[in-house]
Amino acid sequence: MNKYLSIIFFILLSVIFITIQTTLLSPHNLNYYYPDLNLILIVFLGIFSEVRGGFLLTLGNGYMMDVLSGNLPGTFTLSRLSAYLLVRSGSNHVYLRKAIVQGLVIFLATIFTWIFILTIIKIKKDDSGDITAKYILIQGIVNALVGVPIFWMIHRINARFQK
Amino acid sequence: MKFLKNRAVLITIILFFVSLQLYSLNLREKSSQNFLSRVVLTVTYYPQKVIYTISDNVISVWQDYMDLVNVRQENIKLREGIKKLRFEKFELAEAGIQNNRLKKLLDFKEIPSYPMVSANVIGGSPSLLRSEVIVVDRGSRDGISQGMPVASSEGIVGRVLSVGNRSSEVLLITDPVSAVDAFIHRTRVRGIVKGTDGGCAMEYIEQNSDVSIGDKVISSGKEGFFPKGVIIGTVSDLETKGSFISAQVSPFVDLDSLEEVVIILKTNNNIVLNE
Repeated sequence: MNKYLSIIFFILLSVIFITIQTTLLSPHNLNYYYPDLNLILIVFLGIFSEVRGGFLLTLGNGYMMDVLSGNLPGTFTLSRLSAYLLVRSGSNHVYLRKAIVQGLVIFLATIFTWIFILTIIKIKKDDSGDITAKYILIQGIVNALVGVPIFWMIHRINARFQK
Repeated sequence: MKFLKNRAVLITIILFFVSLQLYSLNLREKSSQNFLSRVVLTVTYYPQKVIYTISDNVISVWQDYMDLVNVRQENIKLREGIKKLRFEKFELAEAGIQNNRLKKLLDFKEIPSYPMVSANVIGGSPSLLRSEVIVVDRGSRDGISQGMPVASSEGIVGRVLSVGNRSSEVLLITDPVSAVDAFIHRTRVRGIVKGTDGGCAMEYIEQNSDVSIGDKVISSGKEGFFPKGVIIGTVSDLETKGSFISAQVSPFVDLDSLEEVVIILKTNNNIVLNE
């Protein structure tokens, strides 16, 4: 029963996070300084690999990003899935339970996903707009700063479902 | 799952190439939309609408309070404004009657009018990769379909990109993917207004054309999406690019603070031939 509650909690959290990211914290309002809550949740699912359904939740979250970013199927889904798998591959590491390491992982995951997407855009010689290295670094820092307290909060709520 | 965990790097490389292929397909079929994307738009509609309603109420209460400050002085100014407007209204009515008479004399064709649906902006793109996208609270059940033009009282806003049951995504004219056939209002010089991520540029203007800073740019209606004669913006800068002129266009509509828009219920099927 707790397992299902936990999954429902993460599905609800996914919808809440993407809603906040498209309304109050949209890059349309905050420009470079918006926190990517969707990515933060995916990194959480990767680090805390005991969470059930993490793979499918990541797929769903990435797909929501694709659809709401102007229907770009695959771009966010697969880049975020890759980030999830890479984070998950090291999730047994004891240092990943420390807040500062978690912040670093969120930062690196942000850099990784942008490099993943921008490389595709560059190969296809498409316009990537005004996304620069400076922007990616700023977003990495913002995500890390916002992500760590969010991790703490999600972890605490999720722990209640595990009891 | 253990298989995936042990081969994360290999799978990442595979996913990269899959993503590359998907991106290519997507570039070719920009208007592709499927059942799942409709589901996502419908699922996110309700929480977006809740946040929109709450924030709109909070803002409106704050604005009501701010409006009360200096209301007396504003009242005096408004009364003076009304006097002026009454006089202008009379003049316009006279001009309108004269205009109709002259139109009849010249046998002018009326510009077709289309049914419209008003919509509230309830969200925006969650990523800066394509941030020139907004979400509105009207969908297929309101008669909205892909490609319909979106405008505000000030001019062109964009085009419907994908449609859910109750909400739709709108691609703004400032997105690099957007293109609108347009002409300079003063001289009827034609060009294509393209998005430049935050702004617009009118391209493919012939070099010897009469274009200058401050000219108004309006839609030509030739590409079949936007009705003819809707204002897009003002020329703010000119640059020569090879054998063409590129004009920077400042959109008339403040796309960063859009709250309400109208969707013109016009599809490619009901294009009027004289446009």
